[in-house]
Amino acid sequence: METKNLEESLGVIWHFQEQGTKNQEKICSKLKEGVNEQIFDELLNEKLIRIENGNIVFTPEGEKIASNITRRHRLAERLLNDVLEVKQGEIDKSACEFEHILSEEVTDAICTLLGHPKFCPHGSPIPAGECCKKAKEEVESIIVSLDKLSPGEKGRVAYFTTLEHPQLHKFLSLGIIPGKIIHLHQTHPAYVIKVEETQLALEENLAKNIYVRRM
Amino acid sequence: MHEYQIEKKIIAEKKLVLIGNPNVGKSVIFNHLTGKYVTVSNYPGTTVDISRGIGSFGLGKEKYTVMDSPGVNSLHPHSEDEEVARNLLLEEKPDLVVQVADAKNLRRALHLTFELAELEIPVILGLNMHDEAKERGIRINIRLLEKLLGIPVVPTVAITGDGIGELKNRIPEAKIPNKKVRYSPEIEEFVKRIEIDFLSGERGNRGIGLMLLAGDMTLYPYLNKKLKKDKFDRLLTFLEEERKGFVHSPDWLVFNYREREAIEIISQVQEIVGKIYSSLAEKLGKWTMRPFPGYLILLAVIYLMYKFVGEFAAGTIVNFLEEKIFQQWINPFFTKIVVSTFPLKFIQEFLVGEYGIFTMALTYALAIIFPIVTAFFLFFGLLEDSGYLPRLSVMLDRVFRLMGLNGKAVLPMVLGLGCDTMAVLSARILDTKKERLIVSILLALAVPCSAQLGVILAMLGGLSWKATVIWLGVIIFFLVSVGWLSAKILPGITTPFFVEIPPIRRPSMSNILAKVKMRLVWYLKEAVPLFILGTLVLFLMNKLKILNLTKYLMSPVVVHWAGLPVKTTEAFIVGFLRRDYGAAGLYALAKEGLLNPQQIVVSLVIITLFVPCLAQFLVTIRERGLKTAAAIFFFTLFIAFFAGGLLNFILSWVKII
Repeated sequence: METKNLEESLGVIWHFQEQGTKNQEKICSKLKEGVNEQIFDELLNEKLIRIENGNIVFTPEGEKIASNITRRHRLAERLLNDVLEVKQGEIDKSACEFEHILSEEVTDAICTLLGHPKFCPHGSPIPAGECCKKAKEEVESIIVSLDKLSPGEKGRVAYFTTLEHPQLHKFLSLGIIPGKIIHLHQTHPAYVIKVEETQLALEENLAKNIYVRRM
Repeated sequence: MHEYQIEKKIIAEKKLVLIGNPNVGKSVIFNHLTGKYVTVSNYPGTTVDISRGIGSFGLGKEKYTVMDSPGVNSLHPHSEDEEVARNLLLEEKPDLVVQVADAKNLRRALHLTFELAELEIPVILGLNMHDEAKERGIRINIRLLEKLLGIPVVPTVAITGDGIGELKNRIPEAKIPNKKVRYSPEIEEFVKRIEIDFLSGERGNRGIGLMLLAGDMTLYPYLNKKLKKDKFDRLLTFLEEERKGFVHSPDWLVFNYREREAIEIISQVQEIVGKIYSSLAEKLGKWTMRPFPGYLILLAVIYLMYKFVGEFAAGTIVNFLEEKIFQQWINPFFTKIVVSTFPLKFIQEFLVGEYGIFTMALTYALAIIFPIVTAFFLFFGLLEDSGYLPRLSVMLDRVFRLMGLNGKAVLPMVLGLGCDTMAVLSARILDTKKERLIVSILLALAVPCSAQLGVILAMLGGLSWKATVIWLGVIIFFLVSVGWLSAKILPGITTPFFVEIPPIRRPSMSNILAKVKMRLVWYLKEAVPLFILGTLVLFLMNKLKILNLTKYLMSPVVVHWAGLPVKTTEAFIVGFLRRDYGAAGLYALAKEGLLNPQQIVVSLVIITLFVPCLAQFLVTIRERGLKTAAAIFFFTLFIAFFAGGLLNFILSWVKII
């Protein structure tokens, strides 16, 4: 229970700092109101934060926890929003539960599944984890945009990036649906792909928006 | 219940609408189902054409009005085509729907079947292209599919007519599909409230409810008509409130549930057996899109087209018709009749004189233009029905992108080589205003129609190859540079290239001929009156001595700037009515030896880039508005003479021809 509160509070402080608020009093009153009266002293005692000129500053350890909890929360939001069909109110509630129970492995797995997203559904940045750094280094990552495949290769549709509505609808109705296998036939002069028995031609810019799991 | 029809010829008691995804062979089925009398009319308020015909089906040979709708992926509209198809179902209230499906692509078809089930319309499903599916090792258990959907299912091969008999016999058996997609409780709740609170007791409320949930605003006019004002307003508020509750776009949710059901059904009825082998057609289909040998195939297609349209039709056939049939038989015959019937010289000249209706307008329209256009439409039909055109759009996408368009613009631009007027109409397939505008400009400026091209090529054929290269180079230069500038200057957005590529197929000759016939009738109706009008204008100008005055007025530009003989003005004057008519005027002058090679090239460049013909101009006004059309007119006029003059100076200076 106690760690949960500590984590929660560090997450709140992280959020404030993102917005540019470091002022001790402001944050402190929010924490006391939202968590409990003693939480601020506990954070100091545990050496997770310290005070500098009336501003709150993370200690290295505190920063790590704060970054991790934020990362888990926002990834959970992405998961609930993109993959599971969950209503807005539910997302906030569940994400708050998820952030405390996800292990590092599971978090990284979700992150990989989602293709190492950079932003949560509300547009706040998701702190990068180990897996994101690795994914950047590894040229051959698992989920890649379609333009990273070579002709003759195939991949299973994972998700799309720019979701302009008519475009998304067109993808879906022509059979480019998450879970379907795309065969890449050629890339020049335009991309030609085959999904089931439907053959489609599209330009490179669109291909970049389709993310597939290599097969 | 008796029904009336828009077209007088077509009256039947019952109505049937054909619905299907794009490229499933709907039109071929339509031809099978209907007889000779087919009318094509514009769907009110849109740019989409609907064909109507009549057929009798079942054992009782009951008569139906058969309506063909545009190919759609969904009845929740994302395009004008889809909107028309959906509205056709809601407003015409057909007794039944014949859904045509691609047997290779059952999944996509099922989405439509589910939507039809929700609209509670009786359906019979034609699984078309059954042979192609078989070839690819796709086996479909028809009986089980019938049972699962609760509707008759008939495998067909429209091209060969296989299964069409059974389809016709079973049409009266159509039933409302009893397969209903179950959605999540929230969605069901929403739809129920729409049904109970707003639309009571009407057929297809569930479907309408789901479309509204998915955010379909195109339904509002329809509902506004049906519901009382306060109820409609309450509905809008209800929709706005309720739709907020969904995090995921409801459209996407609904799609997902349908997808699940479709997959469930497919897993039961469909089996893929054996290795899917790649047929020659499939290989050919792939080759046509790769740089190698795709571009070689493209060149071969252009060469064949030149041989067939340019040499065979515009050369052999035209020579035969014009020199043998018309000049030796028909014209002397009419001249004799006219001279003996009308003693008045004025009327004689009007009908069979230098600028006579028979001797100039009809000879020209029927002996020269008709065979060229027929050949072009035949060739174009072949390209269209074999599935080559979408492949051409793949090959040319990058070139079109330079001009602010994408590969999709291949269709109007290539059709423009047949008839620019028709091409301006077909620019509707493009997605944005900007793209349609650019295509309208380029068609007016630099795409000669087949009639004009035939005459031009005949003239260039008599000169050295350098003349052809210069002419082609100048036209392509202006085509690309004007396109590029328009893309930069004009406001608006362009869309990414994304098209479906149907498999390469052996086209059905009867289908092509039906299309050629339709296009030719359209063409003759549009062109012949203009020929007569143009001849009349020349005749009157000649009689009233305005012709010489106009020539005198235009001579600074024509003679001094472009270096052409003053008589070419006549060609340019008729060119205002039809460019090909203008080109034919130049042809006559060249034949008389009044133009030297340099003048021929210069005059051809001018007449190619010249203003759109009257019909094209009128259609451009209708499609793009008067202001835009007028701007295009003056722009092309300026560019034509600017280019001609410039070329004249360059050629006088370097003397290469």
